[in-house]
Amino acid sequence: MEIHKYEKAWLVGALVLIVFFISTVAYVTAVTGVDMVDESGGTIHPDDVSDDERFGDPRVEQVGENEFEVYMVALQFIFRPDPVEVPEGSEVTFYITSDNVVHGYQIVGTNVNTMVIPGQIAEITVEFDEAGEYGVLCNEYCGIGHADMEGKVIVHPEDEWEEMQGGDD
Amino acid sequence: MATFIDRYPFEAKVVRYTFAVSFLFLALGAIGGMIQALHRTGYLRFIGDITDGSYYTVLTSHGVFLVIFFTVFFLVGIFTWAVTKELDRELGNPRLTKYWVTSMTVGAILTSVAIIGGFSDSVPMSADVLFTFYAPMGAHVLFYLGLTIFITGSWVAGYDWFKTWWDWKKENEGKRIPLMTFMVLTTMLMWYLGTIGVAVEVLFFLIPFSLGLVSEVNPLLTRTLFWFFGHMVVYFWLMPVYLLWYNVLPKLAGGRLFSDPLARVVFILFLLLSVPVGIHHQYVDPGIPEGFKFMMMTNTMFLLLPSLLTAFTVVASIEHGARQRGGTGYFGWLRTLPWGNPAFSGMALAGLMFAAGGFSGMINAGMNINYLVHNTFWVPGHFHLTVGTAVALTFMAGTYWLLPQITGKRLAAKKAAAVQPFLWFVGMTFMSNAMHRAGLFGMPRRTSEPQYEGFDYEPAFGTVAEIDAQVVGGGILLTLSTFLFLYVVVRTWMGTRVSADGGDEIIDDEIPPALSGPEDSPRVLDNLKLWTAIAILLVILAYALPIAHIASQGLYEGSEYFPMLLEVLTA
Amino acid sequence: MGTESRERRIDHDEFDPIGTLALIGLYFVILVVMWVLMWQVEFLDGGPTVVG
Repeated sequence: MEIHKYEKAWLVGALVLIVFFISTVAYVTAVTGVDMVDESGGTIHPDDVSDDERFGDPRVEQVGENEFEVYMVALQFIFRPDPVEVPEGSEVTFYITSDNVVHGYQIVGTNVNTMVIPGQIAEITVEFDEAGEYGVLCNEYCGIGHADMEGKVIVHPEDEWEEMQGGDD
Repeated sequence: MATFIDRYPFEAKVVRYTFAVSFLFLALGAIGGMIQALHRTGYLRFIGDITDGSYYTVLTSHGVFLVIFFTVFFLVGIFTWAVTKELDRELGNPRLTKYWVTSMTVGAILTSVAIIGGFSDSVPMSADVLFTFYAPMGAHVLFYLGLTIFITGSWVAGYDWFKTWWDWKKENEGKRIPLMTFMVLTTMLMWYLGTIGVAVEVLFFLIPFSLGLVSEVNPLLTRTLFWFFGHMVVYFWLMPVYLLWYNVLPKLAGGRLFSDPLARVVFILFLLLSVPVGIHHQYVDPGIPEGFKFMMMTNTMFLLLPSLLTAFTVVASIEHGARQRGGTGYFGWLRTLPWGNPAFSGMALAGLMFAAGGFSGMINAGMNINYLVHNTFWVPGHFHLTVGTAVALTFMAGTYWLLPQITGKRLAAKKAAAVQPFLWFVGMTFMSNAMHRAGLFGMPRRTSEPQYEGFDYEPAFGTVAEIDAQVVGGGILLTLSTFLFLYVVVRTWMGTRVSADGGDEIIDDEIPPALSGPEDSPRVLDNLKLWTAIAILLVILAYALPIAHIASQGLYEGSEYFPMLLEVLTA
Repeated sequence: MGTESRERRIDHDEFDPIGTLALIGLYFVILVVMWVLMWQVEFLDGGPTVVG
């Protein structure tokens, strides 16, 4: 088969590009540890959500010094709990499910972004290093109120968080 | 020399008909697009507020009308033209041809009726489920039935072209498959393989679901089956474009195709790789192990190869034309190209935008890079460059060259035609660029009102108002461009017939042979059975485990039916 | 639409698509630069970051 030398050069260039793309993605996974949402959250039947130990009472739970777990349900057209409040410097694992249709959960303008599919529990772990208020929205069409579906994550400065905790006692 | 309509009156009629239907859906879809651009940005909202589902009825119609009916009706027209012209023979069986034309038309009407029913409260029918119709959202059963009838029609169309080729082969033993026919056949093999996913989804799950025969389905499984089909379909839109870029564009530039063998390799690669990549639309789906996602990403990245090779071959063919026209220098030859000819300029500008769309597609394909942009406005920004320009604008440009052949009439309104592709290019530059940027700061796709109570977007540069203005301004230019195109088509169609024996009035339909012809390539490239077998094997390797994994969670359990009907939602 | 104005005929063996190589080389560079920029925006900017 006759291929022009320039075209051969481009064939090599194209393959280099492809391998470069694949390796950068693999690097992010393997070295910086950014995993994809996967099957690790497990499954739950939508009918069981309201009676579930975790999702029957959607909440933020502290599970370690700087570690939190959020059990969240996406409904038409709100997220529960809302807002999610954690201290800065925390590592938060979200478990999100839906008892009706497909939703999305994205902290606006960040790579915290997952689909929420009935029957499945999406598990994502997020590092909140900076205090601030972050907007959340549903980014999958879920019915006519979809455009109203939003939420918030409030990351409190350390001292403010301590005060809030103190107030509980 | 007599042109297509004189030689093949029946086939010309078929192509005219499918083009007419295609352009009707283009008009409807374009109006939908304009309404969305005005509504989303808040410039003009006349289709109801947030408690009304009309926006999503418009959005569903915009998607389905354009990416299913506009594209596929055009495809069957151009494939019919290509096979007939190149093999120089009529389609074997007019009754068969009439059958698939009718079937596709009836299917399209049924689905359209189900969608449009969503505008009226008094019609007990709607299908506000968008182009992806994710379960457990449900459309009226007519929506799925129409799609089924439409797709089975396209299957029969493929058989019609295969049959024509088989008949040709008997009389031309030992000859290579002519290039356009080769492209049609490999594209249809890809279509047969990829539509299995959506056929299983619709027939075994969504139709029984919408009729109440089963009470639940597994929403992750139906999504996965959709995307088994859903990425292949983007190449189904693109393959007729590649057919035009490889066969017609070089000649419009005044040159010849650079390499026939590489064109064949490219189409084989699409047959092999366009299906086992679908999970790259589900990178952030829970329930699918990361390993499967990574594997599909690897396939996806290798699927860049045929498009990157196409970029070289097609640009080299254009350059060949420019050099023959006296072009010089590294880039100076670009000036000698016939930019005033809308058939050329449309395809060339479409190709340029496809290169840009290629970049955003690579980002989408990068498994974890995609996190930031998944389901944001970036994504429609991307596919308005690909299907919305590479495909749509090439179809329009191709029409300028083809319409005289199938109507026997000269292209009318040439000045309007000459401006139209540039208008599209400018409009899309504004709109798509704004959409990409908006996606980066998190503005979502698929929403009627991307303004929220609790937070403001934080663009890295520029403002939300400026982005909205670009979307609306671009949308207006695109709508104008669409109707300018339709004006040229109608004017041409209403023109007077050029006599068959022509003289000066010859309608140009010549396609010169490639610089490097099929004789320069191994015959194994034409072994369609072999490539189909490998394609099937790759699909099994890529999809058996993910589908088994998902199906093991239950086929008919997961979520109850959720009809997208107004009454139900407001109750 | 026979607007061709061919000045000369160039056959396969005498045609080196150097302009194409130049254009596509440019495209290659743009792709790599944009990819790296995107990486920067996504993983190296501040703000909440997904890790798993």
